[in-house]
Amino acid sequence: MEPWELKPARDIGLPIGASLRSLQRESGLVSTGLHWAWWTFIQAYLVLGHRLRVHGRENLPAQPPYILVANHTSHLDALVLAAPLPWRFRDRVFPIAAGDVFFETPMMATFSAFFLNALPMWRKSCGPHALQELRERLLTDPCVYVLFPEGGRSRDGKMQPFKKGLGMLVAETPVPVVPCYLEGCFDALPPNRRVPRPGRQITVRIGAPLDFSTLPNQRTGWEQLTQTVEAAVRGLRSNGPRPSGSGEPACAVAP
Amino acid sequence: MSDKTYDRLYGFRNAFDHDVTLVVTLALAAVLLAVPCIFWLLARLGKIDERARGELWRRYLSWLVLIPVLLIPILLGAAWTIIGIGALSIFCYREYARAVGLFREKTLSLLIVVGITLITFAVFDHWYNFFMALTPLAIASLVAVAILADEPKGYIQRVALSVLGFCLFGTCMGHLGYIANDENYRPMIILLLLSVEANDIFAFMAGKTLGRRKLCPNTSPNKTIAGALGALVLTTLLVSAVGWFVFAGTPLQSWPLLAVLGALISLSGQLGDLALSSIKRDLGLKDMGVLIPGHGGLLDRFDSVLLAAPVFFHYVGYFVGFGLEQAPRIVSGG
Repeated sequence: MEPWELKPARDIGLPIGASLRSLQRESGLVSTGLHWAWWTFIQAYLVLGHRLRVHGRENLPAQPPYILVANHTSHLDALVLAAPLPWRFRDRVFPIAAGDVFFETPMMATFSAFFLNALPMWRKSCGPHALQELRERLLTDPCVYVLFPEGGRSRDGKMQPFKKGLGMLVAETPVPVVPCYLEGCFDALPPNRRVPRPGRQITVRIGAPLDFSTLPNQRTGWEQLTQTVEAAVRGLRSNGPRPSGSGEPACAVAP
Repeated sequence: MSDKTYDRLYGFRNAFDHDVTLVVTLALAAVLLAVPCIFWLLARLGKIDERARGELWRRYLSWLVLIPVLLIPILLGAAWTIIGIGALSIFCYREYARAVGLFREKTLSLLIVVGITLITFAVFDHWYNFFMALTPLAIASLVAVAILADEPKGYIQRVALSVLGFCLFGTCMGHLGYIANDENYRPMIILLLLSVEANDIFAFMAGKTLGRRKLCPNTSPNKTIAGALGALVLTTLLVSAVGWFVFAGTPLQSWPLLAVLGALISLSGQLGDLALSSIKRDLGLKDMGVLIPGHGGLLDRFDSVLLAAPVFFHYVGYFVGFGLEQAPRIVSGG
């Protein structure tokens, strides 16, 4: 008889604290329920409180895995980016969040894991090892990463240069990168405020997915990839929503 | 609710009505107090080194938590016993689901957890027909609901893993809880848990001292034939001796019947242990979890109860019956 494909949880055997902070964490029934409740609440809040508008929703790939990247100005960003995704992927969306903010204390780590479904990226010791782990997971587990390649929130609302970690994550993989531009988040919750200001409109522009399967997984490839994505995100800011369905395949490495 | 039912569910004042409950509780307390002294003495005499001592301590501390966690709900009342066993079943299922990957099937997993909750309700309600109906109904629902994903690839595996999970942690564990519907539930559950755990220890000790030939080296390399036979003999003796007092005044108060009960508990206990070893071997895991230091997961500790509970239940049920004097359907009426 053919052997069955039995795949234990990726984080099996880890003590609870370590599993909350693990890049291999997988949700059970309780966390799935909490993720759904949380994202439903957030979506309702964004639509009612910030009149959330999404342009280019049709650019989202039909199936995971893919990566959403955007400019980063506010703690609202990850919530806004994940909100337009179809509900059946709610449990597969992993915002990549700063470990030193979202996973430092046990309370915060519990919240980040059980509600946000965030995976930690430790800014001080973010070695190639963690990126490799994220990359492998992306290839074997159909998931959606929400990522801000600036490496931190912009303090003045202006977009910072992208870091090349994104390149190490996706170069030479078939995983598409979806560039997005967030507008209004800085206004709604700037870095110096603790609670958001309802009433400020937030807009998301979703661009056409970019494919980097032919780009070499080395320094030159990473730099080129980062520049391409950064240009695509900037392009969304100035041009407004990209026309979609123009018949062109997801643009490969555009100069 | 009659006074009789209320006393069974919440009557902690009746905790030590039965001598066996009192004696076993005192004996366990005495053992827990004596063990550190023995460790200290052994270390003082230089019989155990630092590493062995650390390992023994970890196991001891786990038992120091486990025994009260198991014993206190049983002493407090049947309600806490049943709810505790329901929670234990769900946590055991969780470990199983994470190990075999079934937890990724959210709908089936939810259905199983709902099924275990309903079984716990049927047990609490003292509604035997519903309790018995739930297993075939759960199986039928799992077979049916698994179709809804419209994904024939892996259908058999998903359904089979779900049915196995429900049968082990819903049905089998449910039988352990159902014992609590009898007025005399405290000594009976204590007898079952005590003999199953003692059975593990007997097998380990007999295997260490006499064992040479392996029992089933591919499944569990440390188990020996001598260990299995030693446990069979010792557990049969233990069950016969304690059972004589637990089942005083019933048809089961007879040496041959009690000896058969002891042998059945020993066999089903060891088989449950081996069944879990097979699951772990199949998956390539050493332990099912990390909840209990020195033991592994919950299932590594409660594996032997899984098969022993329905065997004990139906054997005792055949000769004595459970809760025949107790009002049925205390919540649902009818």
